[in-house]
Amino acid sequence: MNEYSTHTELLIRLLDGELNENELAAAKKIIAENPSVREEFENLQIAKNAVHTYGLKTTIGSIHKEMMQEIKSPATGLTRKIFHYGLRIAAVLIVLFGLSAVYQYLTATPEKLFSENFHAYELHKTRGSSNTTLEDLYEEGDLNGLIQQYDQLKSPEAKDCFLAGNAYLSTHRSSNAIEAFTRLERINKTNNTHFFEEDVEYFLALSYLGNNEPAKALPLFEKIHSDPNHPFNSAVSSWFLLKIKRSVSVH
Amino acid sequence: MKMEFTDAGLIQALRSDAKPDAAIRYLYRTQFRITASYIRQNSGTIEDAEDIFQEVILVFIEILKKDKFRGESSVSTFLYALSRNIWLNELNKRDKSKKRDKKFEIEKGTTDLDVSHAIANREINIQLMEQMDKLGETCRKILLAFYFESMSMREILTSLNYENEQVVRNKKYKCLKQLEIMIAGQPTLVKNLKSVL
Repeated sequence: MNEYSTHTELLIRLLDGELNENELAAAKKIIAENPSVREEFENLQIAKNAVHTYGLKTTIGSIHKEMMQEIKSPATGLTRKIFHYGLRIAAVLIVLFGLSAVYQYLTATPEKLFSENFHAYELHKTRGSSNTTLEDLYEEGDLNGLIQQYDQLKSPEAKDCFLAGNAYLSTHRSSNAIEAFTRLERINKTNNTHFFEEDVEYFLALSYLGNNEPAKALPLFEKIHSDPNHPFNSAVSSWFLLKIKRSVSVH
Repeated sequence: MKMEFTDAGLIQALRSDAKPDAAIRYLYRTQFRITASYIRQNSGTIEDAEDIFQEVILVFIEILKKDKFRGESSVSTFLYALSRNIWLNELNKRDKSKKRDKKFEIEKGTTDLDVSHAIANREINIQLMEQMDKLGETCRKILLAFYFESMSMREILTSLNYENEQVVRNKKYKCLKQLEIMIAGQPTLVKNLKSVL
């Protein structure tokens, strides 16, 4: 077996921890006394260590491939779970949003559209001007008092009609509001004036909705929607128009 | 299941002869991006980072096994210093530019961690691995089975389909001696190796 040196087998058995006590002592003695044997033993130790390092390198190499797949994957581990949960939540939200839109569309009624979109008119006081009685009452929120005063006026002005119309709308008397707003339109037409012209279009349209007359409200809202310069243009969305059309169709 | 390690647990797992796979995976998850980021910011590619990181882990495990890790810094800080120095050493080898040589010298002087031993080991390891690659596949398998995987002669006999244990023993003997002769034929390598021991 020993075809390299007389001591190689002994040295390898020493390296592998296979020597008994006597053999171990003999091996140590030979190594200590013989430099060439010592050198051979040191080189065998290096060879053994090289094998171990090579094994470790191979192990790291195989783990490396596996880990690169994990690391380079765009969504890994927790991230992937979060991404999937996120997608599910987004899908659920989209479905809920869609169902909500369908529900709103199918259940659109003139009264509902009115109550969702009516906001009381805010009176803008003109600098330097003095308030009329109706303006004072409107500012104070005394809408019934305003309506009483308005009813006593024999020749109300445009502003009186406008305030009265809004007071009627705020107190859910839509037919009276329609009357007040159309009276204002007649005054403007007769006098060739344009007082509250654009405001009245919007509030008259709302009054028609409140009075369950969506077919009359629709052309007014369509006019406002088609005019980007109209002060109430942003209040009339395509979706709002669609719901009015739906309520017209089922009315 | 992904394992978490403290520094002490990590050192123990990597130092032991039992399979350190979970600890190595942990190093990949916690350290690879840091190393890759540094290398890519310093003239390297992602492929360079992959090669260097494998070397870093190998060198780190060997440092631990030789009890050369003094624990003066966290494992993460030490690995970063190791990665940085191994990469700069690699750049120097590639000799891409004189500017970089200068940078390496500056960084080497400012590092507070002694990784010079690791850099020397790296060069020796590369040469040793070349010798291992030159060894035949059969010899590599039998030596790895015995010295790395700590398999018994009987297990190797079954695993590699030898006739009997004596044949395996003889083959292992011849393979180790062959490797020893190859290494002895590289006197500079042996000299360098003994100087860093």
